[in-house]
Formats: sequence, structure tokens, C-alpha cells
Amino acid sequence: QSLEELIRILHQIFAEDKVSVEEVQALMESYESNPEEWLQYAKFDQYRYTRNLVDSGNGKFNLMILCWGEGHGSSIHDHTDSHCFMKILQGNLKETLFEWPEKKGNGEMIKKSERVVRENQCAYINDSIGLHRVENISHTETAVSLHLYSPPFDSCNTFDQRTGHKHKVKMTFYSEFGERTHC
Amino acid sequence: LPAGLSQWFPSLEVLDVSGTGLAELGAELLALPCLHTLLAKNNRLGGPGSLPKGLGQAALGRSLRVLNLSGNRFLEVPPALFGLRGLRSLSLGGNRLHSIPPDIQELRSLEFLYLGGNFITSIPPELANLPSLSYLVLCDNKIQSIPPQLAQLHSLRSLSLHNNLLTYLPREILNLVHLEELSLRGNPLVVRFVRDLTYNPPSLLELAGRTIKTRNVAYAPSDLPENLVRYLSLASNCPNPKCGGVYFDSCVRQIKFVDFCGKYRLPLMHYLCSPECSSPCSSASQSSTSQSESDSEDEASVAARRMQKVLLG
Repeated sequence: QSLEELIRILHQIFAEDKVSVEEVQALMESYESNPEEWLQYAKFDQYRYTRNLVDSGNGKFNLMILCWGEGHGSSIHDHTDSHCFMKILQGNLKETLFEWPEKKGNGEMIKKSERVVRENQCAYINDSIGLHRVENISHTETAVSLHLYSPPFDSCNTFDQRTGHKHKVKMTFYSEFGERTHC
Repeated sequence: LPAGLSQWFPSLEVLDVSGTGLAELGAELLALPCLHTLLAKNNRLGGPGSLPKGLGQAALGRSLRVLNLSGNRFLEVPPALFGLRGLRSLSLGGNRLHSIPPDIQELRSLEFLYLGGNFITSIPPELANLPSLSYLVLCDNKIQSIPPQLAQLHSLRSLSLHNNLLTYLPREILNLVHLEELSLRGNPLVVRFVRDLTYNPPSLLELAGRTIKTRNVAYAPSDLPENLVRYLSLASNCPNPKCGGVYFDSCVRQIKFVDFCGKYRLPLMHYLCSPECSSPCSSASQSSTSQSESDSEDEASVAARRMQKVLLG
């Protein structure tokens, strides 16, 4: 199975009215990462992780590749009522789950769990499950992950771990369909 | 590595010997005049003689731009490195370093320095003498404080400090105008207002020195013993812009909270000349943070506009 085939099947699945989370997760996990197929999308930035759009799923989903340098991590964030699938293509990523802060949050956010997602594994999250932080904790290896978001979204909230305060941010793409965006 | 390396591949530009179990990189590398990138991560380097002697004088010393020694066993930054005048990128992540030597300032061309995942406890002020440094990674160490001199790193775009032992930051951090990324999560940053209650009153020497400085009492070097002339030259201005006072050794450390980007509160350390030296509308309330914010707000809003992105917590 190849990346192209994966994308083709995803288009088929999402053309339907109902989509099964388990089916998508199993499908993504079944794709055996082959760097030759995705190297063109894997553009690294030395200062922070990058988001590289691979396919815009006929408006039903966004498929993108994230490139994480050593020590790069995200803030704690939500997923704007969308489904989020994260499959590791190379390296490992640590995912830390957090509880939603109280309405008048003014204390340290509560960690629910943490785990390391390994090569070819696929994790899933949505807002009802909680919030998460994703980071490449390796000081020697880079990491690459394949993300599917449905429906697509371009803004989310980031959260301060110490206080639970949230802050809306716009998300941008470092490259689209293999071409570097300049904005 | 084979002794004939530089004869067989005289035009070698990139060499990757990562994950090969090497315990030393030898003199066979020295005569590679085109080698600009050397990757030797995840090996057994770290003992004496891990790097060849005479690195600074060799062809390699001039050509090397990128050196990755992450995932090895270095207990200290190997002094042989400091001859690499043209080095732009150095990674010693995931080693066993306990400190950063002041000689790091010899690497004049350094732009990228990765020291994450070591056992570093403090940062030498000499690190600030690297004029081109734009990316500095110090995460996952045991650092307790940041020297204020670090604010002199005008080219710094990204500073990674997460997972250390920082309780506050020096207020000079606001001067890093090009900083776009700053990670501070996983530090025991002070959340509540803390006032240093153990203020040691100044000595008579200090009081006399302060009076001379603040009242501009004239004196010539011939009037005073040399040690007093030297002492008077060490006066520091009180950082509080509303105060014209000076201090020598005795000062109050006060932690002020500055709102960054309207959301995050960073505890910044201020040195003041006395407990009385603070905003006019202050009263020493221990649990309220409002008085500490009000006089920092002007400088904070200016800094917040400059600092584009703060990754906190």
C-alpha cells in the first residue's frame, strides 16, 4: 500500500455521509511509512515544527505532514470540534493529554496521561477526549507525522499549562502540496 | 576511520558516521579541505582524544560549518572544538555536560547551538558574546538562572528553556527584540508574588558611597585611597526608572509579574536599591499581584508588541 493509495481510499471513505473513526485510524495505521513517498512534503524549519499540506480532501478533511526537529514541541491545544488523527511516519512523538481547565481556570492544568506514539502507530483525539501537547523529546532524532483533520480548521486555542488561560491562534502552512508558502 | 580517507575522497563535503559506535574521530579527518558537515551522533565519543588535535590549524578547521555530536558521552565540551572558527551549527544534545565553558565565545560564527538534554546547571555570561547566535536550545537541563547578559544576543530568534529549574527570568529578557519563540514550560516559575523579606541593610561603606554618588559629591583620585576609588566606580544604577538611586552590594530582589501577550505572566527579577524603591502606588501586599503589574505594564506592553510568540506552559 502506498501514500497515494491511502489518500485515494480516504477520499472514498469521506465521500460517504457517515465515517467511522475506527476505520480511519486502522487505515492510517496500516500504511507502512515509506520516506520516498513523502520526502517531498517533509520540509523542516530549524526554529520550530512545520505543517505541510498534502491533500485538502475535497473540503471534507485536511491531510498534512508535520516535521519536528530535535526538541520541537507544540503548545497545549484543542481541535476546534474536529477529529484529529496523528500517524508517526518517522521517529517518535510524546503526547501528553490534559483535562479541559475550569471555566474560571486559575490553577495548573491537570495532566491526564502521557505516552509515546511510535513509528507507524496512529493516535486519535477530539475535544470531548481532552486537550493535548505533542512534542519530539529526542535530542538526536527528528520526527515526521501524518495528520488528518476532519472537518478542516485553521484556528484553535492554545492553553497556558500554569493557569489554564486560553488564547486563540491562527494556523498556517509552511508548504502546500510540496511548494513552500511565503506569508 | 580509515587512514587514507583524505586521499581517497579529497572533495568530501558531507560525512555521516552516526550510529557506528566510534569512540574517537582521528587525524584522518584533518586533511579534508571541503568537509563542511560532519554528523557523528549516537556514538561512543566523549573520552580524551575523541576529537583530533590540531583541529584549529587544519584544513578542516576552516571548512567545517556543521558539527553534530549529539547522543554521545561527552562530560565537557571538548576544548579541541574551539579552533573551529567557521562553525555555524553545533549540537551536543543528549550528552553528559555539566557546564558550558566560557571559551564557547571563541566560536565566533556560531548561529545554532543545541545543548538540550544534558546536566547543565548554569550559563556563563560569555555565551552572550556570540554575535550571530540565532537559535539556542537549553531545554531538559538543570539550569537555575539565566544571566542578564544573555539579552545581548541581538540575533536570537528562538530560545528553548523548557524543563529546567528556573523560578524567574532576568528583566533584561524583554530586550530580545527579535525573539519569536520562547519555551518556558516545565520550570518551577514563581506564580505568586514573592517579596524578598530578608533585606540586609547596607553597610556604612555602602551608605557613604550612595550619598557621594546621588549627591554628586566631587572627588579626585588623589583624594582617596585606591580601593575606595575602585569601590565608587562599581556603583549600579537602580533599575527602577522612577528612582535615581544607586546601590553597591546591598539591594532588594523583587519579582515582578509582567503580562506577555495579555495572557501569560512571567516572573521577572528586578534588583532595587531598597524596599522603599518601587511604584508610588504600592503597598506591600503579599498575595496581590496587581501592584507588581501596574508599574511594569508600560514596559510590558512595549515588549509584548515586540515579542511575537511565547510558548509557555
